[in-house]
Amino acid sequence: MNSRERVLAALNHQQPDRIPVDFGATPVTGIHVLAIENLRKYFGLEERPVRVVEPYQMLGEIDDELMDVLGVDVIGLCPSNNMFGIKNHGEWKEFKTFWGQTVLVPKDFNTTTDDHGNLLIHPEGDTSAAASAKMPKASFFFDALIRQEPIDDSKLNVEDNLEEFTPISDEDLDYWKNEIHRVKNTGKAIIANMGGTAFGDIALVPGLNLKDPKGIRDIAEWYMSIIMRPDYVKELFEKQSEVAIGNLTKFYATVGNQIDAIFICGTDFGTQDSQFCGIDTLREMYLPYYKKLNDWIHKHTTWKTFKHSCGAIEPFLQSFIDAGFDIINPVQINANGMDPQHLKDTYGDRIAFWGGGVDTQKVLAFGTPDDVKKQVFSECEILSKKGGFVFNTVHNIQANVPTENMIAMLDTLRNYNQRQFT
Amino acid sequence: MILNMEALLKRIAHCVEFGKINEASPYPPDMKGQPGADELTRQAIDKGADPDDVLKKGLVVGMEKIGIKFRENKVFVPQVLMSAKAMSIAMEHLKPFFQSGDVQRKGVFVIGTVAGDLHDIGKNLVSMMVEGSGYEVVDLGTDVSSQKFIDAVKGHPGCFVGLSALLTTTMVNMEKIVNDIKTALPDTKILIGGAPVSEEFKEKISADFYSPDPQGAVDYLNSVVA
Repeated sequence: MNSRERVLAALNHQQPDRIPVDFGATPVTGIHVLAIENLRKYFGLEERPVRVVEPYQMLGEIDDELMDVLGVDVIGLCPSNNMFGIKNHGEWKEFKTFWGQTVLVPKDFNTTTDDHGNLLIHPEGDTSAAASAKMPKASFFFDALIRQEPIDDSKLNVEDNLEEFTPISDEDLDYWKNEIHRVKNTGKAIIANMGGTAFGDIALVPGLNLKDPKGIRDIAEWYMSIIMRPDYVKELFEKQSEVAIGNLTKFYATVGNQIDAIFICGTDFGTQDSQFCGIDTLREMYLPYYKKLNDWIHKHTTWKTFKHSCGAIEPFLQSFIDAGFDIINPVQINANGMDPQHLKDTYGDRIAFWGGGVDTQKVLAFGTPDDVKKQVFSECEILSKKGGFVFNTVHNIQANVPTENMIAMLDTLRNYNQRQFT
Repeated sequence: MILNMEALLKRIAHCVEFGKINEASPYPPDMKGQPGADELTRQAIDKGADPDDVLKKGLVVGMEKIGIKFRENKVFVPQVLMSAKAMSIAMEHLKPFFQSGDVQRKGVFVIGTVAGDLHDIGKNLVSMMVEGSGYEVVDLGTDVSSQKFIDAVKGHPGCFVGLSALLTTTMVNMEKIVNDIKTALPDTKILIGGAPVSEEFKEKISADFYSPDPQGAVDYLNSVVA
């Protein structure tokens, strides 16, 4: 099997020749730029500044060289513009981080500092616009700055929350065409992060790419709106889904079935122990719109659809399956009710687990290499039976993960694949 | 609708529990058009209610009920935020009595998200629950340094401190902050919380209390001041 066949077998719940692997194909399965530099050093790869491919979380590029070393089977395609509305390809420039690493950032990655020396980034790289995110000096990535005008319910207009959901441009379609051309003969599976298909993703609600966001942009206000302003939210999702279907139609006309999967939505429904809303709310407020997109995709394409949600989402998995999702990520195995054996036994033949290879909150970040080995082995044993599993950590590998733990994870995975499948 | 005082206080507690902010608020749908925590609290005070009763038999009761339901996964973040909003708007009517000393709060709770971390939903939920159970809350915001915590504790002798972190990369800053506070002010009781935080981590960094849910923090504070 080549990489693509391996991934497709797994996603079709058939036994692949070994466990397929993703590192870096999506904004939730990546590796922090510092951890990438550490890996490159460990493997003796060329020492050069790593490109930041996703600046919000400071995820680094996993280039062909590193992809080979890590045994990666999936290539992710990112949109032309990043979360800050900055063109994420073309010219790059060097940038020195708070932690002393020199990295490469897009030409228009323009920052300022606040009175305390924290880093501020501005939408579209326009420093005359109010900053949309901040990286504190003691942090390793950005978080949104809330720009919320006082809300007058009588004047709320759904169009204000739709500003960032626009029809895909011809320029963007040309970009996607070139991207597909670049990767289509690699033998890897391809997942596209087209954008615009997430409903109520709290990371996107603040409008990081907008110079003057209007509507509901405050995080607490958004969560309350789900129950306080349900008609507003439904109208927003309805209109957003119409734009998304239009974009999917054009996107499909451009890339066809050369992609294998599409990232639909990163809205987190789980907390560590519970959910962000009740199941009735999920089914009433979100599911019809998810289903609309998934149904369109399954009717017109061969793509698999990818849903990300952190946390304790076991009570929601059946609903995600009902909505037509093929893939769930990051499979937060240490959250309440997310026992991997239970998940595999109960849902494993109907939804593929993309992630869950090792817990990142405790084991990978703070455990010993032996702890990592034990857990990676155990997760592979449980999750890989009859396919339905793409190996990735539970969410991105963070800056603080010791290199020896990453190596322990990679060695265990490699050994497992050799022992079990050869 | 004319209610006697006891019924009025119960009604305030009900509004807080179910997130009925004011008459104009459409939530919850089954209370549409009815007065909310705002109007009823004003009404209680205007009718001569003891403000201490309004706090303890009205707001605190409502917040405790929602806190317990949240801990038991019977309600979720949006409902707690609505309750907190109803509580906050009612609390505005009590502020003059706090300032005059007619209503004594149980203690002071200084809270912040630790240095490097800008996430505040969890911190705000705890802050609202603690305030709604009768404590004065001093919210230092996010990305808070050791020195800022120490200055706040010095300004509020005997206060409790709450530290929040969402990230594995910032929870490590809790250790330094706990150490710095305990070195400067050894008697300070420090509570910690956040998604990656655990009882084991609390032991490791010598904090005093960890709870996976806001109501646990309230119960702990109440047990210490009792």
